Amino acid sequence: MKAVFIAYNKALTEAIDSVLDRNHIRGYTKVTDVQGRGTHSGEPHLGSHTWPSMNSAILTVIEEERVKPLLESLKKLDAKAEQQGLRAFVWNVEDMI
Amino acid sequence: MKIYESSVRKPVSTILIFVGVIVFGLFSLQRLSVDLYPDMDVPYIMVFTQYSGASAADIETNITRRLEDNLNTVSNLKKLQSTSSDNFSLVSLQFEWGTNLDEASNDIRDVVSRVEQYLPEDAERPTIMKIDMNMIPVMFLSVTANESFPALGKLLDDGVANPLNRIDGVGSVSIGGALTREIQVNLDPVKMDAYNLTIEQIGQIIGSENLNMPAGTMDIGSGTFSIRSEGEFHESDEIKKLVVSRLGGNTVLMSDVAEVKDTVRKVTQEQLIDGKLGAQIIIQKESGANPVDVSKAVRSEIPNLVKALPPDVKIDILIDTSEFIEDSINSLSETVMLAFLFVILVILFFLGRWRATFIIVLTIPVSLVTAFIYLFATDGSLNIISLSSISIAIGMVVDDAIVVLENITKHIERGSSPREAAIYGTNEVWLAVIASTLTVIAVFFPLTMVGGMAGILFKQLGWIVCVVIGVSLVAAVTLTPMLAAKLLRFQQVGHTYKGLGVLFKPIDKFLDSLDNGYARILTWSVRHRAFLLICSIVIFISSIFVMMQVPSEFMPKTDDGQISATIEMEMGRGLEYTKKITNEITEYIQNNFPEIESVSTSTGAADGSNFWGALGTSGSHVISITMRCVDATDRERDIFLMADLMRERFNTIPEIVKSTVTVGDNGFGSGADVEVKVFGYDFETSGNFAGELMTKMQVINGVRDLRLSREDMKSEYRVVFDREKLALYGLNSATASTFIRNRINGLIASLYREDGDEFDIVVRYDEKFRESIEDIENIKIYSSTGQAVRVKDVGSVVEYFSPPSIEREDRQRVISVQMSLYGAALGTVVEEINTILDQTEMPEGINVAIGGAAEEQAESFGDMGTLLILIILLVFIVMATQFESFLMPFIIMFSLPFAFSGVFLALFITNTTLSLIALIGSIMLVGIVVKNGIVMVDFTNLLRERGLTVNRAVIEAGKSRLRPVLMTTLTTILGMFPLALGLGNGSEIWQPMGIAVIGGLVFSTILTLVVIPVVYSVFCNRSLKRKKKRIIQYED
Repeated sequence: MKAVFIAYNKALTEAIDSVLDRNHIRGYTKVTDVQGRGTHSGEPHLGSHTWPSMNSAILTVIEEERVKPLLESLKKLDAKAEQQGLRAFVWNVEDMI
Repeated sequence: MKIYESSVRKPVSTILIFVGVIVFGLFSLQRLSVDLYPDMDVPYIMVFTQYSGASAADIETNITRRLEDNLNTVSNLKKLQSTSSDNFSLVSLQFEWGTNLDEASNDIRDVVSRVEQYLPEDAERPTIMKIDMNMIPVMFLSVTANESFPALGKLLDDGVANPLNRIDGVGSVSIGGALTREIQVNLDPVKMDAYNLTIEQIGQIIGSENLNMPAGTMDIGSGTFSIRSEGEFHESDEIKKLVVSRLGGNTVLMSDVAEVKDTVRKVTQEQLIDGKLGAQIIIQKESGANPVDVSKAVRSEIPNLVKALPPDVKIDILIDTSEFIEDSINSLSETVMLAFLFVILVILFFLGRWRATFIIVLTIPVSLVTAFIYLFATDGSLNIISLSSISIAIGMVVDDAIVVLENITKHIERGSSPREAAIYGTNEVWLAVIASTLTVIAVFFPLTMVGGMAGILFKQLGWIVCVVIGVSLVAAVTLTPMLAAKLLRFQQVGHTYKGLGVLFKPIDKFLDSLDNGYARILTWSVRHRAFLLICSIVIFISSIFVMMQVPSEFMPKTDDGQISATIEMEMGRGLEYTKKITNEITEYIQNNFPEIESVSTSTGAADGSNFWGALGTSGSHVISITMRCVDATDRERDIFLMADLMRERFNTIPEIVKSTVTVGDNGFGSGADVEVKVFGYDFETSGNFAGELMTKMQVINGVRDLRLSREDMKSEYRVVFDREKLALYGLNSATASTFIRNRINGLIASLYREDGDEFDIVVRYDEKFRESIEDIENIKIYSSTGQAVRVKDVGSVVEYFSPPSIEREDRQRVISVQMSLYGAALGTVVEEINTILDQTEMPEGINVAIGGAAEEQAESFGDMGTLLILIILLVFIVMATQFESFLMPFIIMFSLPFAFSGVFLALFITNTTLSLIALIGSIMLVGIVVKNGIVMVDFTNLLRERGLTVNRAVIEAGKSRLRPVLMTTLTTILGMFPLALGLGNGSEIWQPMGIAVIGGLVFSTILTLVVIPVVYSVFCNRSLKRKKKRIIQYED
């Protein structure tokens, strides 16, 4: 099992939801209104006067073979609107109940 | 869920709520009545006391002063004026505008009942009267007739006045100038002496002959019959055959001693319409009725009524106040539509997209209809104030929607779906939008609290703009995002120029080059800060010189097409003499002023003895003229010029002693433009001083119709009885004067009845026996024992000049020099008068004050000054809280002086005076101008926080905010443009406001686009340096 952490501009909420649906991912944990900024480029999403936009984050734990298609769809989405900001990170899940 | 989010997610509810608002608004619009001004009570109450036989001075001490001393304590009282003349006292109380007059009249009633016991016993109870706007007639009809003229009174009464009175909303219909039938018994005193008869006896005979009397009932057989003795005259000729005496067995008939005439009452007042004899019908409305509806109903009824009248009777509409109302409202509605069109064009020009334009423009009707709902709920009407307010608001309601939509579009261009972009785009700007709307409300809300007459004018303006702007804010954060989510399509940056969009290509290029050009200017400016600051200070200071050139005025005068004139001949001139002059003047007007549609003149007093006769100047030597011109758009000369030409002419007619031509009195302020009041107890000193001032003021440019408020002395004959002699014959003054009155004025012996109407039978001396003083002296008075004595034996007839009535203001005697103005501004003339007053040495006990419209101007300008300070403070507070800084609002306020410079420059160029309306325009500017500054400074702050240097941030912000600033400014400017053009009737009132706002906005926008960034960079660089220094000190 792998854990995928997706941090994305709130404005992409609907698009992300549909990506998860299309990849038949049912379970996830979502944190709305989180702050963040990219390492290299893009606008920070801080919810402040200066940088008013905000992020949401999704943590979903899925089977290893589903990670690749998911990342691919996310990459496509990011390419379509690069300025919005969308990142996904994958790591191992050691154990679960 | 935030409001914008739920509205995007629930489009059906959102759209339906706004549809509901529109439906309710249109429903209200349909129900709204049309009027010229908002409802207002004229704040005057008068106390009228009659004390027969007392002279003006007696009235002053015994009645007027007692009343004044006590009435002075009534609350909200602004001014206390009084007139004391022979026989009556009139105290008029002026209250603050907006005072509850019911309460005030109750207070007055209390005071009067308290004072009553201290008034002389013979004085009648004081009457309290309110002036009601409803008393001002809605329509004047003129009636002309040839052969039917003598019977006109009855014809009109039955055929016109009564049917008109039945119309819903018509309060009263009165007829003036028509003749009244009268049966005259004109006696010959010589013959009466011969037969030993007196007028009183003859009157008694007529009275007892003209009588029907029931005599009871009688049973005859099985029936009961009532018995009546019938003596009433069936025709007036019967009077001739009355037996008046059987002296020495000879029957003396009435025709032996008198001439009996069935004729019309001698006219003391004569109406001429276009030089022809005629009558006037005056129509007043019921209180609360709508003048426009009433006049419509009357207009449609007149053709039906004319059919029933003889063919030579013609009825025309002389004055219809509702015509001006309708014209003004129609032209204002056009103004609103034109403004709407201009605003659409501006938005389309800048956005180049149909859908976006539609979304923004939709907020206009949605928010404007709420003005109608507000008016309907508060019992308001569609009037020039409310419609102008809508016209003013039209350019401002789109501002919020523009900001919101701009941000949503930015998100869409970055790749969001329109739905998400709508929610998050609105989320980012909604607080800023609320804040900028608050600055506008901070300007308009205080307007609702202004007192005085300006308050009446601006209360509705304040409320309507607040309500409309408030709703436009709500629409901008609900309707706009919702529509954006539904209508906008995903698009990349830039315009596709497809289809009709190709038209936008050159505009877009132009706007781009404008952005770049502005960026270059800014780059240059921030490098030459000192130079630019000095330049702008110089510009501002030089504009102060322009400001001093702009003359000031109270209210702009309107050309309502009405000219009225009062012309006085020498006191005591008879009606025939005056009539000759009237004909001359009518002819002159008809020949020289083709623009004048109808001239109606009235000469003489209707009835000198009644209250209204006593109030105004009237008499057989006075001519009053009412003229109506064709529509202002159909003629070249305005009424002011025409009035001035008339004045010139009247001054050259030697018979005319005094003439006044009044024009453009829009119902506010007193009749005279400027009044110089001379207070002082001594009649002669104050009169002479006022005369001296008047002579000095003749040289002032533009002053017309200079006159003194005090009437000339009136000459009259007085019969002075010797009481001792009277007593010798067992007579007293009362009986003796009744004898004289019966012979000269006449005795109403009885009433002649015909077809249900009653006419007076008047018995008196034939006219040829009452033409000289000897005639009076020879009048015989009979004592109770029947002994006859002539007037000259018990008294004498002397010529006498009755002193003028005594006018007082604020419990001091006053005489005022009044004047009208032509081609000169009120402010300038007042200045010149002040110089004259400074140069003139004032006699002891004399005080001088300036009144009239000038006084109102001084008061309301003072109010506006306070208002301006209050508004600047409020706007500062709103901005300071928004930026959480003292510095930012200060920087933004730098644009204010230039706005005022622009106002004065525009007024100067267009040759407009600085009136109350122009002042309100400048006050409104505070909110509008500051809005631009907020947009610029806010974005500059943002860029600085994003890490740009101060100068870079200033340039970048300027470049990116140029379009929104230009767009919101242009919508406001073009929204006001139709107002400033002053199209149609009655538009002159708001024209100065349009000119002021446009001038101020254009000038300040051009300058603020450069000055605000420069000032920003100056202040922020300094504070940055200070901050750095502090950090270094701290680190050390």
